[in-house]
Amino acid sequence: MPPKHRTPATSTPAASTTPRSTTTPRSTAPTQSPKASKNNTDAQRIVQDLWSSYQTRTSQRTKLLDTFLAFLILVGVLQFLYVVLVGNFPFNAFLSGFSATVGQFVLTASLRIQTNPQNEGEFKTISQERAFADFVLGSLLLHFFCVNFIN
Amino acid sequence: MRWLLSLLLLGYLSAVQALSVAGTRLLVVLEDGAEREKYGAFLGDLEARGFHITTEAPKSDSLSLFKHGERTYDHVVLLPCLAKGLGPALSANVLLDFMKKEGNVLVALSSERSTPAAVQSLLLELDIHIPSDKGALVVDHFNYDSTSAADKHDVLLLPYPTTLKTGVTNYFGGDGLIAVPRAVGQTLGNESPLTAPILRAPCTAYSYNPKDEADSAEDPFATGSQLNIVSAMQAHNSARLTVIGSAEMLQNAWFAEKATLSGKAVKTANRDFAEKVSAWAFKEVGVLKVGKLVHYQDEGVSKKVNTSVAIPENNPKIYRIKSDVTFAVEISEYDKTHYVPFVPPEGDAIQLEFSMLSPFHRLNLRPISQTANSTIFGTSFRTPDQHGIFNFRINYRRPFVTNIDEKRQVTVRHFAHDEWPRSWQISGAWVWIAGVWVTVAGWIAFVAVWLWSAPANTVKKTQ
Repeated sequence: MPPKHRTPATSTPAASTTPRSTTTPRSTAPTQSPKASKNNTDAQRIVQDLWSSYQTRTSQRTKLLDTFLAFLILVGVLQFLYVVLVGNFPFNAFLSGFSATVGQFVLTASLRIQTNPQNEGEFKTISQERAFADFVLGSLLLHFFCVNFIN
Repeated sequence: MRWLLSLLLLGYLSAVQALSVAGTRLLVVLEDGAEREKYGAFLGDLEARGFHITTEAPKSDSLSLFKHGERTYDHVVLLPCLAKGLGPALSANVLLDFMKKEGNVLVALSSERSTPAAVQSLLLELDIHIPSDKGALVVDHFNYDSTSAADKHDVLLLPYPTTLKTGVTNYFGGDGLIAVPRAVGQTLGNESPLTAPILRAPCTAYSYNPKDEADSAEDPFATGSQLNIVSAMQAHNSARLTVIGSAEMLQNAWFAEKATLSGKAVKTANRDFAEKVSAWAFKEVGVLKVGKLVHYQDEGVSKKVNTSVAIPENNPKIYRIKSDVTFAVEISEYDKTHYVPFVPPEGDAIQLEFSMLSPFHRLNLRPISQTANSTIFGTSFRTPDQHGIFNFRINYRRPFVTNIDEKRQVTVRHFAHDEWPRSWQISGAWVWIAGVWVTVAGWIAFVAVWLWSAPANTVKKTQ
């Protein structure tokens, strides 16, 4: 999950879009390949900037949360691919498995919102420990329901 | 002492009633003693077989088929009379009511005497048609008896009837030739599935009225084997009506007469045939009885059908969908003096239906075992994936045997919540089970790492 970055991420695309908008009306066919390569390098730069700023500016716990969210997306996509390719025969099993993953994702995302240092101003009344305790309780409830529902 | 007497009486009664399942009280309707003499051998044979014969004139005051709403006789034989009507005690309605109460009727027609209106409308009601004009008879220029009917060709010599069709038992088969003098041919309508021919005229026969002035028979009533000499009708309640086209067949004069068929001297076998027809008509043969009927849940311990009759009739009221059920029924057939194991004719089978409105299963019942006087038929099946009120039903209706219509109602319920297969028993669910547990495991790992990495962050936060 690429986190929201305000300063570098928004500034770089703005910088890259301005020369492109100026080049397009001037020449069409011959300048296409340099333009594409230029865009390519631009995109690479954007991604690199994103990544480096993510690395430097994100707290360690948020990174951990992001890793877990990515893992959940992978598991969810695999389950959904299976239901599309093979079929949904024990439908309760599909519902249970898929909703366990999706529900866990939602809970983790809310934990991320609540513990993100950037949102500290919005959640003054909720401490990190309180948010984590809510997350653990919610997850346990979710797992309990899913395991029971899959029978 | 008294119980001994009653036991003796009971034994005597059962010995007397050993012949017909339907009872022994037989009413013969004919005009006078001289008439009775003509049928002496036939009636004597019946008496020897255990029937109690009462002879009444058709218009006699004492004649009544019912008393206090119950039948006074079990069987009625209507022999042709000189009188045109049969009187109020034997109207078509009374005879139909008699059949509705499971009484059996045997009607003998004669071309020399007019058929009474009551008999005509009775036969019409049952979809059996006879020529309307008096004197019409069946002639055949190929199968006639040249001793007695050299000119008129109206005494037919016919072989015994063969099986009506595959899957039907022939109760009237035998060896020899039957003399059929001056018969009134009948035709059976297409509407009624209850009628069946017993003895058909040969394909060269036709119905013809000798009183017609024309030289040749124009527009005959019926020709060939659509003409029946003897026909039968068995109602839904298994009451039987038998029509014999020629009453003369039953007379002493034709019981063992010498006859000539195309130059060969033969002896008529009427006595034997009359016995066979009357035995069927009065329910001495072709009567089926359903004995014990068992159905139970096959527990899966032994998949083979339980053949023991000793199992208690534990027929449960409720089954579950998709469960194995075994059904067994005991069926006997009455054969003149006692019950014998019923064996369905070749090409026929008794079928079991498991039905709710329409059958979900219709299965052939296989004979599993035999007792001294019954066959046990059975089958196993799996209840359909449909809950509701179901019937085990045997509906067996065939010509010449009494109908079986047995129903047992059961409830079929759906799975109880703890009877479903567990998720891991369904291989298709393994992926999602893995999904749940991978999520859980990932969550535990995440929580562990989170807690483990806590101090560094808290220090950071507190700063």
